[in-house]
Amino acid sequence: MTFRSRRTGTALVVGAGLLALAACAPSSSSGDGGADGDSTTLTVWSWRVEDKAAYEKIFDAYEAKNPGVTVDFKPFKATEYNKILATGLAGSDGPDVPQVRSYGGLQTTVASGSLVPLDDAVDLSAWDENIVAGAKGKEDGKLYSVPLARQATVLFYDKKMFADNGIQVPTTWDQFMSVNDTLLGKGITPLAVGAKDDWTLPIVHEVLGASRFGGAAFQKSVQSGEKDFTDPDFVASVDVLKDLEKYMPKSVTGVAVTDAMTLFSSGKAAMYPGGSYDLAALQTANPEMDLGVFQVPPAPGAPSGSEATTAGWADGNFAVNAKSPRKEAATKLVQWMATPEFGQMVADDIKQISAVPGVTYSDPVLKDVAANLDANGSPYLLLTDFRYGSPSGTDLLGKGTQELFLGSKDAKTVSTELNEGVMTWFEPTS
Amino acid sequence: MNRRTGLLFVTPALALFGVFVLYPMVTSFSYAFYGWAGTARQGFVGLENFTALFTRAPFTTDLPRALWHNVLFFVGTMLVQNTIGLTVAFLLHRRARTRRALQTLYAMPYLVSPIVIGYLWTLLLSPTFGPVNTLLTKVGLESWALPWLGDPDTALWVVILVSVWQWIGFPVLLYGAALGGVPDELTEAARVDGASNGQAFRRVVLPLLVPAIGTVSVLTFIFAMEAFALPYAFGGSTGNPAGSTDFLSLLFYRTAFDSGSTDAIGTSSALATLLFLLIFGGAFGATAVLRRHEKGITG
Amino acid sequence: MSVVPAGIGAADERTDVTSTPDGVLAPKGPSGRRGTRGRQKPVGGRTASVLLWVYAAFALVPLLLMLSSSFRSNGDLISDPLGAPWPLSFDAYREAWTAGNFATYFGNSLLVTLGAVLLSTTVSTMAAYALARGRSRIFRWLESLFLSGLMLPIHLAILPIFYLFDGAGLIDSRLGLALMYGASGVPFSIFVLTTFFRQLPAELEEAATLDGATAWQTFWRIMVPLVRPAVATVAVFRFVPIWNDFLFPLVLLRTQDKYTLPVGLTTFFGENATNYAAVFAGLVITTIPLIVLFLVATKQIVAGLTAGMAK
Repeated sequence: MTFRSRRTGTALVVGAGLLALAACAPSSSSGDGGADGDSTTLTVWSWRVEDKAAYEKIFDAYEAKNPGVTVDFKPFKATEYNKILATGLAGSDGPDVPQVRSYGGLQTTVASGSLVPLDDAVDLSAWDENIVAGAKGKEDGKLYSVPLARQATVLFYDKKMFADNGIQVPTTWDQFMSVNDTLLGKGITPLAVGAKDDWTLPIVHEVLGASRFGGAAFQKSVQSGEKDFTDPDFVASVDVLKDLEKYMPKSVTGVAVTDAMTLFSSGKAAMYPGGSYDLAALQTANPEMDLGVFQVPPAPGAPSGSEATTAGWADGNFAVNAKSPRKEAATKLVQWMATPEFGQMVADDIKQISAVPGVTYSDPVLKDVAANLDANGSPYLLLTDFRYGSPSGTDLLGKGTQELFLGSKDAKTVSTELNEGVMTWFEPTS
Repeated sequence: MNRRTGLLFVTPALALFGVFVLYPMVTSFSYAFYGWAGTARQGFVGLENFTALFTRAPFTTDLPRALWHNVLFFVGTMLVQNTIGLTVAFLLHRRARTRRALQTLYAMPYLVSPIVIGYLWTLLLSPTFGPVNTLLTKVGLESWALPWLGDPDTALWVVILVSVWQWIGFPVLLYGAALGGVPDELTEAARVDGASNGQAFRRVVLPLLVPAIGTVSVLTFIFAMEAFALPYAFGGSTGNPAGSTDFLSLLFYRTAFDSGSTDAIGTSSALATLLFLLIFGGAFGATAVLRRHEKGITG
Repeated sequence: MSVVPAGIGAADERTDVTSTPDGVLAPKGPSGRRGTRGRQKPVGGRTASVLLWVYAAFALVPLLLMLSSSFRSNGDLISDPLGAPWPLSFDAYREAWTAGNFATYFGNSLLVTLGAVLLSTTVSTMAAYALARGRSRIFRWLESLFLSGLMLPIHLAILPIFYLFDGAGLIDSRLGLALMYGASGVPFSIFVLTTFFRQLPAELEEAATLDGATAWQTFWRIMVPLVRPAVATVAVFRFVPIWNDFLFPLVLLRTQDKYTLPVGLTTFFGENATNYAAVFAGLVITTIPLIVLFLVATKQIVAGLTAGMAK
């Protein structure tokens, strides 16, 4: 390299750097247009990057009805959203209407004084109480947000594969086991579970074991302090997972949840225990697939009266930022989010089960899940009641189930440790 | 250079460093001594947040385990990375034509973001679709086809080895450079006296490399204690499976951003403070020991 | 109190260098080692050669997999994750570059990274020179202060940093991001550069001062050219982590038009969770500039490190 070319190179780098500094002088942020005259721009934050187009369509409808209001939807990466929201609400240029987490995940935000109480603004008395509980402050019992959607734990199955192998949807535990055996005999993985990701395991436990511990009835006894997780029925429900491990992929703790989904959508597995939030991804991964859902029948020994159930929880609420200079307009938007009109759009465009009662569904799978939820719904207990402290119930059961699969702990130890962990902060209501 | 001019030269760096690094860091340490409700600061609580780290679940189990993993990460990286790095550097020494090309190739993985590295290796090692196990089964080593990232016994070592794989370029470059500083006359003399290549290396070259090994050790220690991006890419913030790839930085991250308790900022800042003290103490201690050792051999 | 790791810190005492600009970084010796090296046989012979190349393949295979996957169609990738990339498909790149906004992210990354590296290298070179040459106690103390920064896990201070930026109106500003990165690079840059300045013989400056040069002229015209390999090394090694970082832009930027590549990439991940081919194309676009930079700069880096470790 000659001296001259080296000099030119340096000059180029220096020049580019100076240009860089000049170009990144603080720009007038065009995003937060204040309320000048009668035009207002509301900023909405969310972690649903994949729903951007749907939300824009929904907010277009709102803008059309409310002249002078512009809604700016800004989604962020889901896994980093908590951090972005915590800093965003603490600062001066946060969103007017943030999407906030539910249940325990909401409490930090409420405690910071970042949200406006909405008890006087919206009336959710006709809604499912387990869903509305996710939108309230635990300490003061005030309503701080409007639930967007209900999620449900779901056992998806491949309708065509069931038909091709002459399998009927099981209605008893024995039938369910023989379905598994038949599939295994044909070289098909019956249950696509990805146990490498611990957060999916409490959901898998709900799908396969909720009817064994007794769903909603068990929640009531735990809330009142009458029972805890060392209860024999709960221990047995954890054992159900161990019994079913032979129907899951080999070395299940090494299988990522994306691998499990790929096994299912590429026709190598017949059933996939997951959540209603997985529906869109499954439909995209294999648009040809004929998806169905069913509820797992109660395993032997289940408490009397226990039947197949679909566990549900609130997911993603919208709230009003206490620091917003446009609180009135923001509250109006959140009020609209509690109307059936918005709920129907959530069902049609975002393809989620709306939290608003009385919404109808055009997607057949979603329709079935919503019907199951309305008919045989139960709370996804570890999320709805055991995420208000640290360690959380879902973290403990997720890790515990991995240890169960690895053989280092049995169902009793896993349940006892779950109980000991959550009881460090949990207080029964009565 | 006189003192005044010198200070003028230092001022821009000091200002930048002070405002954007020291000030936030010190502020962060101060957070550890206050109570918190979400992001709202409450009263002064003294050492309460620190005692919480040693008395409250989940810290009582997670903190010692994470610390142990950081230590294993350091020891494993030191042993494997130093051995491979030194061997490769020694073999590359005197290969004037291919040395730079190979050094560059070895350093390539360093250029790739840890998130991408985690994604790629998870794919390669997957028990369902991964080519590594497919290959092992094909060549008859079926018992070796383990659920690498799914078994607590192997997952941590996979993280350590992939980290070594990503960073191997550094020791190769550094040791290569240090070897370049060893006069050939010395090894020649040892060879003339009848020593083999290996003996010449052990008796003549290795002692002269102690300063370089010391530098690499201290940097590795800091690196191992701060380990975050790669474990996060492999096992998420909870150190899957069953917490076997949990590290102190991940525990901090979980405490600060994923926890349901409202005093998260206080406890997580206390954890950050402890982590800093650990790194600082360790690096300082190691440097002192190396200094003394070095004085011992150079007389 | 000093926290300089022993190897580098101690190098100055034993360095023996010539004083001509070109020879400064090569140890003095009548024949020069380069001359004798050719005559010595490489250790390990053929076997070692094979091993070294096998290891090189091991280092590269995952990266080649990423490259080949980016040239395949998504359907292909799902049914056979490791198939051959024939026929080549450039759709994934077209999609990432246009729909994925990668052109914008690319420009932002370049601006922020170059700005930050230029800033930290400039202030650090100045400071390192003073720290290496200053005799007053205060410089020892300042050096320790800077080097303690090597041990500060700065990502743990994300919240105070956010408040600081919020107060200064630097949220959603590329300038703010460049300042942040520039500052975080100071300890490492000073750590390396101080060592290099210490190796330069003091006679050079004494001669310059006798000729009537000011301190600045001595620094800029004589000293800086002599440590150029070190400056290049520092610049490249700072460039890589800044280019790859996604934590700070994620928290400090708001507008999509200002996103850097890693943040854009994570957004793109979210939008295309199942479009693996496009994701791989995004990964390749993110990585290529670093590889080019590294290939161009290797010569300087090797020279820089060699001088740093030589004794």
